[in-house]
Amino acid sequence: LQVLDEEGKDVTPHPLFCSDPNTIVPRQGKLLASSSYFGATGPAFLSSFSMPQTSGANASLGSFSGTCLLTSYNFSDVQVRQEEIKEELTKEDLDRRVDLYLTETETIWILDMPSVVVSVEAEDAGRVLERNRIYVEICKNRPGNDRFVEKMMQTVNGATKTKEVQCDKIVMEDKGVMVTSWDLYDSFNELEIEPTSKAEGSRATTGKSSKSHTTKEHDQAVSVSSDRGNTTSTMVLENAVLAKIHEEEKCHSEAVLTSENFQQGLFFMERILMENIFQPKLAAYRQFPVLTDPNVTSATSGMVAAVKEAKQEEHGKEKKDKEEQKEAFIDPSIPSDLDKTPEDIVPPRLEQLWSYTCDLTNGHSVSSMAWSKVNADLLAVGYGAFDFKEQKKGLACCWSLKNPMWPERVFRCEHGVTALDFSTASPNLLAVGTYDGSIAIYNVGSCIDAPLLDSSESSNKHTGPVWQLRWLEQDRGATGAGKTERLICISADGRITEWLIQKRLDCTDLMKIKRTESEKKKLPGEKERKSEALISRQAAGMCFDFHPKDTDLYLVGTEEGHIHQCSCSRSEQFLETYSGHKGPVYKVAWNPFSTDTFLSCSADWTIMLWHRDSQTPILTFSSATTFVHDIMWSPKSAFVFAAVNESRVEIWDLSVSTLSPAISCFASPPVKFTAVRFAKNTDCLLVGDSKGEVGVFLLQNLAAPGSAKV
Amino acid sequence: AEVEETLKRIQAHKGVIATIVINAEGIPVRTTLDNSTTVQYAGLLHQLTMKARSTVRDIDPQNELTFLRIRSKKHEIMVAPDKEYLLIVIQNPGE
Repeated sequence: LQVLDEEGKDVTPHPLFCSDPNTIVPRQGKLLASSSYFGATGPAFLSSFSMPQTSGANASLGSFSGTCLLTSYNFSDVQVRQEEIKEELTKEDLDRRVDLYLTETETIWILDMPSVVVSVEAEDAGRVLERNRIYVEICKNRPGNDRFVEKMMQTVNGATKTKEVQCDKIVMEDKGVMVTSWDLYDSFNELEIEPTSKAEGSRATTGKSSKSHTTKEHDQAVSVSSDRGNTTSTMVLENAVLAKIHEEEKCHSEAVLTSENFQQGLFFMERILMENIFQPKLAAYRQFPVLTDPNVTSATSGMVAAVKEAKQEEHGKEKKDKEEQKEAFIDPSIPSDLDKTPEDIVPPRLEQLWSYTCDLTNGHSVSSMAWSKVNADLLAVGYGAFDFKEQKKGLACCWSLKNPMWPERVFRCEHGVTALDFSTASPNLLAVGTYDGSIAIYNVGSCIDAPLLDSSESSNKHTGPVWQLRWLEQDRGATGAGKTERLICISADGRITEWLIQKRLDCTDLMKIKRTESEKKKLPGEKERKSEALISRQAAGMCFDFHPKDTDLYLVGTEEGHIHQCSCSRSEQFLETYSGHKGPVYKVAWNPFSTDTFLSCSADWTIMLWHRDSQTPILTFSSATTFVHDIMWSPKSAFVFAAVNESRVEIWDLSVSTLSPAISCFASPPVKFTAVRFAKNTDCLLVGDSKGEVGVFLLQNLAAPGSAKV
Repeated sequence: AEVEETLKRIQAHKGVIATIVINAEGIPVRTTLDNSTTVQYAGLLHQLTMKARSTVRDIDPQNELTFLRIRSKKHEIMVAPDKEYLLIVIQNPGE
């Protein structure tokens, strides 16, 4: 398509900005234009030619509006028109970062009317004044003068012709952006990083663009709006959420569910839900005053004020407060002494806060529990049965205080778990001993279900169930390396072993427990071989405990009922033997405060308190006709310990009474209690049972602790 | 897999009335409510979350909104926002 003017020059209007400066400039003079002006020159061209090639021009004009949004101009020189290359519009171009430079153009003289007023002090003021005077005289002389004659003329008026031009509608669009400080921050951050199209997309979502109503219907505008799809959808959310969903979005939505962030979000949400549900219980655990929802409280108005006051002073349930207040009404002077009031009126008791249980652990019997040494809210629970007949696959779970309904970590083991302990030196290691005698070390930092180290390949491993294991920090004075940590375990094959953590788990024997025949014969071992057919020369060890002050010394409880005191430095002989129990000793524990006494519990229904210097027990406690599975001294008081037998959990307070327990809490059959632990930082007791639940109980109103020695 | 399990557990908790998961465009991906209510919640909470996030970042652009909780007389609405999704859980904590 070519358009020629009279001189034969080719003045084909270029579709876009490629305009030939040579032809255009002289015709238009010094005036140059922005694109809109250029659009206007289009029709100017057409009107001067008799060949209306409107379609071509229209197309060029039409595309102006589409592209004028994108290209940037830079008017630096008025004389020479910049060569503007037609840019191929692609979808990426629209998303690309566009830099718009705002510069001041040269001053364009559109109208220059020199003034006709001259200052009196100007240089040619005299001349001007003179001329003015002459002019005034001429005007005066004009009317009657011969030199001025009136005459009329006629000019030829050209015929006017109307000409119509059509151009495409110019699309106008309002765009507004709310500049917030984070928007600025983000943009500057992205300048340092490579600008990506994602940044564009996010910026678009923050801007608000109000499109004029007419443009929406226009075809062109539709293409523009679909490119800005992000903006549209967020702003028109209320109206058009159910409107057309592109196929790409469908894939994206599924991707949301599998993303990492989503998993984390779910994790937090679950924890927060738990906090909501368990808030009163958790507060009681932490010994905070219990907050109640004002909507939920149903206290009568008379009691409310008093209840609130009492609440600030005590931890515990509302009911108890009300009970108190009833008494207080009788006695108007409420002693504000915290220690006195509860004990005078209400006897000490256990109150269940919640229990760690879930579907996964239902049916497994709790065999052992251990607190993490570093994080006092993390509890590891091992599940496995004690009896030979009930063996199934074992489980070790880590529970956190923040989520009592689902364990944080679940480790499945081939055999029932019988013992576990957290390490002190590397607090993420959990050692687990199982019924088949093997030991595995897990890293609780990761969610992987496989052990870090396993002792099944070790040649020296135990052949009987591992009944107890412990990580021990010992002073290695000889090697001078400070405290090192060792893993010690005891098992039914009669060996106490120390395990070395290297590439493969391997162990060395600390001690072999020899059988002691009977009390009459003090000699250990094999004298009476003829009369008794021994299966093995070793007695099964059930438990051990290291002395809290002297880590060289430890006690071993055996299946025969003897307790031996041994030393790490002498692995051949026992230092002392304490005989008193008639059944296997399930647990021994040194008193953490008065370190010369220890406690032992056994299947002969008794718990015995010993002093290390005497061969007979000081005290015997028996209160039930069932096996006593577990005992533990309270970490706060030298007189208090907890014992669990199959039907009850009992708290004994030796300063109050040695004949019967201070608190006794029954289990509902057929559930049996199997393990007990005190909580380290609060007055709570954890009790595990054969159903797989670990109940958390709050100790209330126990006597003020004292650490006096016995 | 694990995500599904956790979602199911959350839905089964005591007092939880509804769980809604919305993707970045505002389309509900998972919901336990009827469609119209879900859409309503999605739209309203999306805007509120944007506003909350804008507020937090205006004060300190290096900060970020991590969680949003609205406690009302009848329920508690908890929103876990993110660039790619919005997780909404409505719970009635007073049971």
